[in-house]
Amino acid sequence: MNSWVELAWLVPVLPLASAVAIASFGKNLPGKGSEIGVLTLVAAFVVSIGIAWETFSAGTPEPFERAVDWSPLGGGFVFELGMLVDGLTAMMFLLVTTVSLMVHIYSREYMKGEPRFTYFYAMLSLFTFSMLVLVISNNTLQAVIGWELVGLCSYLLIGFYWEEKSNQDAANKAFLTTKFGDVGLVVGVIVLSAGMFGTGTSTPFNIQETNAAAMAGELSTGTIVLGMLLIFLGCVSKSGQMPLHVWLPDAMAGPTPVSALIHAATMVTAGIFLLARLFPVLAQSATVMAVIAIVGVITLFFGGLLALVQDDLKKVLAYSTVSQLGYMIAAIGVGGYTASIFHLFTHGFFKALLFLGAGSLIHAVHSNNMSDMGGMRRAMPHTFWTFIVGSLALAGFPLTAGFFSKDEILIAGDLWAGQGFATGSLVYWVGLAAAFVTTFYMARACFLIFAGENRSHHAPHESGPQMVGPLMLLAVLSIASGYLLSPFSSQEFNFENWTATPFVEDATYPFLDAGTAAGGDTVVAAASSLTLAAEGGEFSILHGVPTWHPDLLAIVLALFSIAVFLAWRFYGKGLPERDPTLQMGAFSRVLVAKYGFDDFGYRFVVVPVRDTFAKWASWSSNVVLDGIVASVGRGTKTAAMTTYRVLDQRVIDGGVNGAAFSAAWWSNRLKRIQSGDVQRYAGALVAGTIVLILAFAAAR
Amino acid sequence: MDPNTAGWALVVALFLPLVGAGALAMMPSSMDRQIRQAGVVITGVAFALVVAITASFDFGRSGELQFTTDVAWITAIDARFELGMDGISLPLFFLTYLLPFLCAIYTTKHLPSPGKPKAFLGLMLMLQTGMAGTFVAFDLVLFFIFWELVLVPMFFMIGMWGGSKRDYASVKFFLYTLFGSIFMLVAFLAIYFQAGASTWSIQALSEMAPFGSTTFQTWAFLGIFLGFAIKVPMWPFHTWLPDAHTEAPTVGSVLLAGVLLKMGTYGFIRIALPILPEGAIRFAPLIGILAVIGIIYGSLCCLAQTDVKRLIAFSSVGHMGFVMLGIAAMNEAGIQAALFGNIAHGVITGMLFFLAGSMHERYHTREIAVIGGGMLKKLPRYGVVFTFVAVASLGLPGLAGFWGEFAAMWAAINPGLGIADTYSGLYLGLVIFAAIGTVLTAGYFLWLLQRINLGDPLEKWAKEPLDDIMTIEWVSWTPLLVLILALGIFPVLIFGVQDAAVANLMGYLGG
Repeated sequence: MNSWVELAWLVPVLPLASAVAIASFGKNLPGKGSEIGVLTLVAAFVVSIGIAWETFSAGTPEPFERAVDWSPLGGGFVFELGMLVDGLTAMMFLLVTTVSLMVHIYSREYMKGEPRFTYFYAMLSLFTFSMLVLVISNNTLQAVIGWELVGLCSYLLIGFYWEEKSNQDAANKAFLTTKFGDVGLVVGVIVLSAGMFGTGTSTPFNIQETNAAAMAGELSTGTIVLGMLLIFLGCVSKSGQMPLHVWLPDAMAGPTPVSALIHAATMVTAGIFLLARLFPVLAQSATVMAVIAIVGVITLFFGGLLALVQDDLKKVLAYSTVSQLGYMIAAIGVGGYTASIFHLFTHGFFKALLFLGAGSLIHAVHSNNMSDMGGMRRAMPHTFWTFIVGSLALAGFPLTAGFFSKDEILIAGDLWAGQGFATGSLVYWVGLAAAFVTTFYMARACFLIFAGENRSHHAPHESGPQMVGPLMLLAVLSIASGYLLSPFSSQEFNFENWTATPFVEDATYPFLDAGTAAGGDTVVAAASSLTLAAEGGEFSILHGVPTWHPDLLAIVLALFSIAVFLAWRFYGKGLPERDPTLQMGAFSRVLVAKYGFDDFGYRFVVVPVRDTFAKWASWSSNVVLDGIVASVGRGTKTAAMTTYRVLDQRVIDGGVNGAAFSAAWWSNRLKRIQSGDVQRYAGALVAGTIVLILAFAAAR
Repeated sequence: MDPNTAGWALVVALFLPLVGAGALAMMPSSMDRQIRQAGVVITGVAFALVVAITASFDFGRSGELQFTTDVAWITAIDARFELGMDGISLPLFFLTYLLPFLCAIYTTKHLPSPGKPKAFLGLMLMLQTGMAGTFVAFDLVLFFIFWELVLVPMFFMIGMWGGSKRDYASVKFFLYTLFGSIFMLVAFLAIYFQAGASTWSIQALSEMAPFGSTTFQTWAFLGIFLGFAIKVPMWPFHTWLPDAHTEAPTVGSVLLAGVLLKMGTYGFIRIALPILPEGAIRFAPLIGILAVIGIIYGSLCCLAQTDVKRLIAFSSVGHMGFVMLGIAAMNEAGIQAALFGNIAHGVITGMLFFLAGSMHERYHTREIAVIGGGMLKKLPRYGVVFTFVAVASLGLPGLAGFWGEFAAMWAAINPGLGIADTYSGLYLGLVIFAAIGTVLTAGYFLWLLQRINLGDPLEKWAKEPLDDIMTIEWVSWTPLLVLILALGIFPVLIFGVQDAAVANLMGYLGG
């Protein structure tokens, strides 16, 4: 074995093997299949560590690409099954296998005694496989395959408790909303690949080739704008951006470990991952970037507000996921490639931690609602401190992972603003405001859960080691992962250099060159120092290791203190009789109604399609189209009968051929025309054909 | 077997079912069991022969005709007995032998009233020869004979073993398709006279093409179009299909969806496109539009159905729309997609009809509301298989349904033969609407699963002793379930076989 990256194919294949093994004979094992899942995930995790170490220590690693021609597609084009392993892949491997392993371990205790326990583990492994297929893809078509498969696993796991109608509805809603976005993804991938036809490649879906072609100007502006906007539609639905985020809070109907793995740490980040993969393509168009930034900003702010009025702890976390995904999307839109995927990375750990912590609480009090908790600090000390660490990271408290990654996003916005883009300022200021909201709702949640008296009807107790262990590990990561890209990081070996691909290093923003930006006569890529970039002379995608920003630090700390103080005032002594977030008049009503998006979607999309258009189509088929067919049939029959009568009359009146052919003979013959006998009709049709043949021959 | 000289093998395989039907007729009706077993043996031997043919097929030369037979037949009208197969014919031909074999196995246990396995199996075998013949006949007259031969047994199958509205459905099926084939026949005659080469050979005519004025090609294409479009069926000629499918016995539905509909799309690809390329180019945008209307419309109709079998029947309209979209793309990828979609739909929808039939056997109703959910609880294995096939049908990657749909949309983004110069905007719209159709498809399948599979069983079924999947059903279904997965993971099984043949075919169109 020469290197770990050559073993990258093992990382997805191991969970697949696990899924198959669990489904085949997991039931007969003492752990009901869970031990297979844990062991294979450990193996996949070890390989991921090896790959991460190898790529990280290489500075910016050369991508390792291997592919086999899996099938011809016609016209000389080929579908490849392949792997593209670089820092971005390695980062995702590490995130997915870590969280998946934690969830596999955690669920052994959390799901104990559940019916369909083995099925649950098979699906967890199948999901992990699908996600890794997407991550390892060297081509967009393979990515689509992984993308849709994670969607199926998500559907099956959201609907895990399928006896309840509400869970079935949540699963359907998730699948169909994301499937709607997939229209964009699929057509976008098709549009991009069609743009590649002109380059003479036989693998038009290849990601590296697409990036290279886009940077070389071989793709037309139309292809890039249309293709990337369509793909972005897919990301909007998958990554919970407004207004297609509506499925994500409902997806909390699934078991909590599923929410942690799929609906917080991994699957929902697929959209951001894909945008990062195709970053050199979208960086070609100011329009595309502006659209991405604006959708992200709207989501990060308005999505976060919705968490304020939730009582269900999982819903709070779900809306905060929507909001954090909005940060990542917004970062992509302001050129914050590294910032976005860095936040993806850290968020994966602390959000998984929060969800698993929530699971631990729910397990103890048998309720999702914070109004049923209270005082958990004493009963569940480990859950308490890990949850607090997760909350601090989410709120961006200094020196946690969330602080470093979120600040990167704000700085990216500021730099973008420095190039003259309003979206940059928007990301900076709205991002700050949303950080305040985030701190407030997380502080509210923490006070409601841990402060005051126990309001549950159970005697809560701390969860066992299989649940607490993953919480502790994730808590460590929720702090430590931030130091991969912080003022303390090495200039050479840091998160940015690790996840930068050679394309990202070389990519430029052509629209900056065109003079739309303030300043910047030449755009050079290699510069990787923040100061250089900030001066506006040279603007690159990579900004280098961050420095301290005392001004920003001051603002962040001030906002944090105010938010926590306010939350303490309202919730510090337990559940207030009238929750202030629900006492804000129309504003609260709008938030409780979720801005009306869910209602709108149901009333103006689902109901009309299902109850009106469908009925109309069915009616038009059965009545209108079939009516035409029936009337042609009736008309033919009438014509035949008329002919019969007229001929009959003539024959009788004229008495022609009276001697040889009697009227009775004729009528007897012709009567058979309307016998209803199919063979006769067929005969008549053949006779008609002969007439047509003769007519054709004559015309010729 | 040497694929260059063993033309006899194809002839034997082709007529074996017909001979078998004759043999069955000799058996006394009282030997009910033995007749059913004989049906399995006959279709099994025929299938084994086709497996042998497939094994000895020269995949390296899949673009060329193999196992050819070419002898004078009706010299007075220049008709020849010309058979052969290339990579386009092979998958369809294979399916035509697999499905009847599985149907015969299924019939050993399930046969709707009035029973009479001798007549039933005899008709099925006749049908098999007719269907198989259309995929290997390379003479237009011979093709037409096989094409029409299919109608009669299917007519009786629906008319005798069908549901309550069987008389109406069977006559409608017969007359509607016959109506279409008359125009097709006239167009064949027109081609024959216009070419003036005293040949009906599809290969020869394809090589001569294009001939005749554009006007001639347009009119001739219209004639062929009517014949094939009704068979596919394309919107708005689809109304015979829901009735025929709903009323037909299970085996009839399986063969109807599995093979019969494919004759139409195959005809477009094998005959209409290469012989009338200019007509085809003129018609392509229209075909594309009708195809996408069919996709959206068929899916919407599915949402409104209350009868499981009728729902599946309407789903065929949508799925065949994707196949026709591939044809409308008029490029290699599109033809590949269409042919893949053909096979995938045959396997998946054939399987769905098996499931619908067995559901009826158990619940004695096909009304979704009467079944009322909880099948995963009541019949867990059955529920899982049903979910698997439904998910395949909604086009999930990794299963057979995906490749035909995705490739058709992918091909249509850049239509061939100069169509892109004029219609690129239209085709982009077609792709987008086709993609929206996939959402609707997912919608009606998930809704169907929700209403039949999920939840708790209704009280009336909870105490009813219903059988989960029986051994005979496992035997007849497993090959299809395996194929659904195998074709999804290894699309090369179809794409690879067809590649050279499709390239060859597009050569005739100048693409």
